[in-house]
Amino acid sequence: MCGIAGILNPASPSDALGGNIRAMLAQIGHRGPDGAGYVVDDGFAMGTVRLAILDPKAGAQPFGDPSGRYWLCYNGEIYNYLELHRELEALGCRFSTNCDTEVVLNAWITWGPDCLRRFNGGFAFALYDSQTGDVFLARDRFGKRPMFYARHGGGLLFASEMKAFLALPGFAFEQDPEQLTSILGQWTPLPHQSGFRGIESLPMGQWLSFRSGALKTETYASLRFDEGPEVLTEDDALTLIRERLTRSVELRLRSDVEVGVYLSGGVDSAIVAALAKDFSTKPLSTFSVEFEDAEFDESSDQQLVSSHLGTRHCAQRITHADIADTTPAAVYHAEVPAFRSAFVPMYILSRRTKDEGIKVILSGEGADEAFLGYDLFKETLLRAEWDRLPDDVRRSRLEQLYPHLSHYGPKDIAAVTGLYHQFSQEKMPGLFSHELRFQNGQFSARLLKDAGSPFAAITDFVAAQDDYAGLSPVEKAQWLEYKTLLPGYLLSTQGERMSLAHGVENRCPFLDPDVFALATSVNLKFDDGFTEKRLLREAFRSRLPERIVDKRKFPYRAPDAAAFAAQRPGYLDLVLSETELAKLPYLNAKFAQRLATKVLTKPAGEVSTKENQTFLYLLSMSLLERAFVRREGLPQANLPPLQKVIDLTETKKSILPTGT
Amino acid sequence: MSKIRDFVEEQFLIEFDESFPESSDLFKEGVMDSFGYIQLIRFLEQEFGIKFTEEEMTGGVMVSLSQIEQTVARKVADRTES
Repeated sequence: MCGIAGILNPASPSDALGGNIRAMLAQIGHRGPDGAGYVVDDGFAMGTVRLAILDPKAGAQPFGDPSGRYWLCYNGEIYNYLELHRELEALGCRFSTNCDTEVVLNAWITWGPDCLRRFNGGFAFALYDSQTGDVFLARDRFGKRPMFYARHGGGLLFASEMKAFLALPGFAFEQDPEQLTSILGQWTPLPHQSGFRGIESLPMGQWLSFRSGALKTETYASLRFDEGPEVLTEDDALTLIRERLTRSVELRLRSDVEVGVYLSGGVDSAIVAALAKDFSTKPLSTFSVEFEDAEFDESSDQQLVSSHLGTRHCAQRITHADIADTTPAAVYHAEVPAFRSAFVPMYILSRRTKDEGIKVILSGEGADEAFLGYDLFKETLLRAEWDRLPDDVRRSRLEQLYPHLSHYGPKDIAAVTGLYHQFSQEKMPGLFSHELRFQNGQFSARLLKDAGSPFAAITDFVAAQDDYAGLSPVEKAQWLEYKTLLPGYLLSTQGERMSLAHGVENRCPFLDPDVFALATSVNLKFDDGFTEKRLLREAFRSRLPERIVDKRKFPYRAPDAAAFAAQRPGYLDLVLSETELAKLPYLNAKFAQRLATKVLTKPAGEVSTKENQTFLYLLSMSLLERAFVRREGLPQANLPPLQKVIDLTETKKSILPTGT
Repeated sequence: MSKIRDFVEEQFLIEFDESFPESSDLFKEGVMDSFGYIQLIRFLEQEFGIKFTEEEMTGGVMVSLSQIEQTVARKVADRTES
């Protein structure tokens, strides 16, 4: 795992670019503390900060081919690199390392962008052709690893994290209300959004070329629900689930350093840990967050899994004070507005993981999206068939849907039924599954002076997708989760941005293309979907304690506004003071202040989900404005030890004939 | 009826005025969600001593302040007559 950054500016001399790229890499030094390297050429520079996982001694970057024409800065892992290595060798490629970086470079030289379809992994990379001056950027199919880019000064900037751009003279960050309204509406950025004007995220499954000033993007992998194997019986489904997940975990254990597992207390990470243990030659290390506040705590289930599997378990206890103290740093690393505080404990956990000597962890992300683990999918199934169901069935299904929410209980069920009746027909084209959730987003969008239409961007986004209209209501719900909440929050803000803040790489066995394809074949084929992830649970029933296998989904959450209300950190001035709120010109300051005052003074039981959510947006937007726009309180940038510097302008000089 | 208006303004952090009239759809504007709706029903039942039947609640949701006030006025009158 690493961080990469680059700058293409034909007007800039190479020595200035060298200084720029060192400064950009220093901004993302936390992603790769083991070493830094860069290449400069006329009008171009790019570099890597490296977290050495595979072949630590030989894989220094940027990595060049023997001819010196192609240069690669690479972030992530291709888990099937050994198979590709063999395939490329058979085609005549020669290798000097055992590192997947060299596989990626040779694959690109051999197959061009078609190589991307062959990669099973989480990656983002930049490839420079020093002969033509072309730059290519690419990103994995699920959006595991980040890649941001911006047009600047007639050229192009790119980086794993936007904070690299802070290092560039003349680059100004500005929050973009048009993107913000969309982010507040649907909870997370869309795949191309960054929240900042002029900065784009390269969407998952795409590559970008920059040739002679022209920028072009192409999609190489789209999310398809019709490419899974044919599965005839439930027994076959269970066998295939076991086989494919086992293989996925085996691939993700390829590492020259020890790999640990994050245990949430739920079934998904327990399955991952059980499979990882099968391949481990020494006791597996597992890590968890537990909460002082019992409402959020799953420590007894985490301990149960750990003792069942005999792991070396490290639990990090999280208090309200931890959340209040750490939120500004965690938001700085997340870089985008967040709708809940649950990412903050993951920042603290990755620090602990690093302190325990572990650089790579596996986690259960992606299981709920693939195997229908969220209540949202059941809710969609219910609403889609609402008009055909008798009253008593509607009622009993509703009661099963959210048993942990008091207003879904018998006392209020009539009112909830009335509400669902209103949401049984699609009102927002293509977004049926998410219409109820988007009610909260509509409330959050009130933070903006001119909220416009929070759902215009996502409506256009789905309308532009080939084949989307032909998906079933549940597949559409899954598709939306794979394009919004998963990459826009779970994998990024709560996932890799928090892990990489402390140089820990996270890998997700449920985000294997073969696992996803299988899930599309078996979902809803052998059951009605109302027992979440039933097939996955049955496939591993014999491997785990019954309590874990049959445990209902317990959404991972952390104390939200209550933590800030209890601790009252000084930075709350940002959301309470009229003077501070006025610094965000796009904000509806009156509403923002009313909201902040209410959630920070009322008892937690009187603060609704949407108010909590909106408060977190407000706080994170204010902290982002302070750090990125006003550049106040920024942490010190730190360039890891320089291991490799390639100056192609010197190389070119040395091969020029004398007298020219 | 000003009690209903006060409750909605206080609970949902809004102010009714020319830019946000009492006929605004509170769901569409993102002011009210299922949680808020239940809170509202509880408040109306307690405050006005009325009861919403299942049929009333499943048949159509009161979406604006005007609708809420009309419904409550009707139910209070029905209660008085009976």
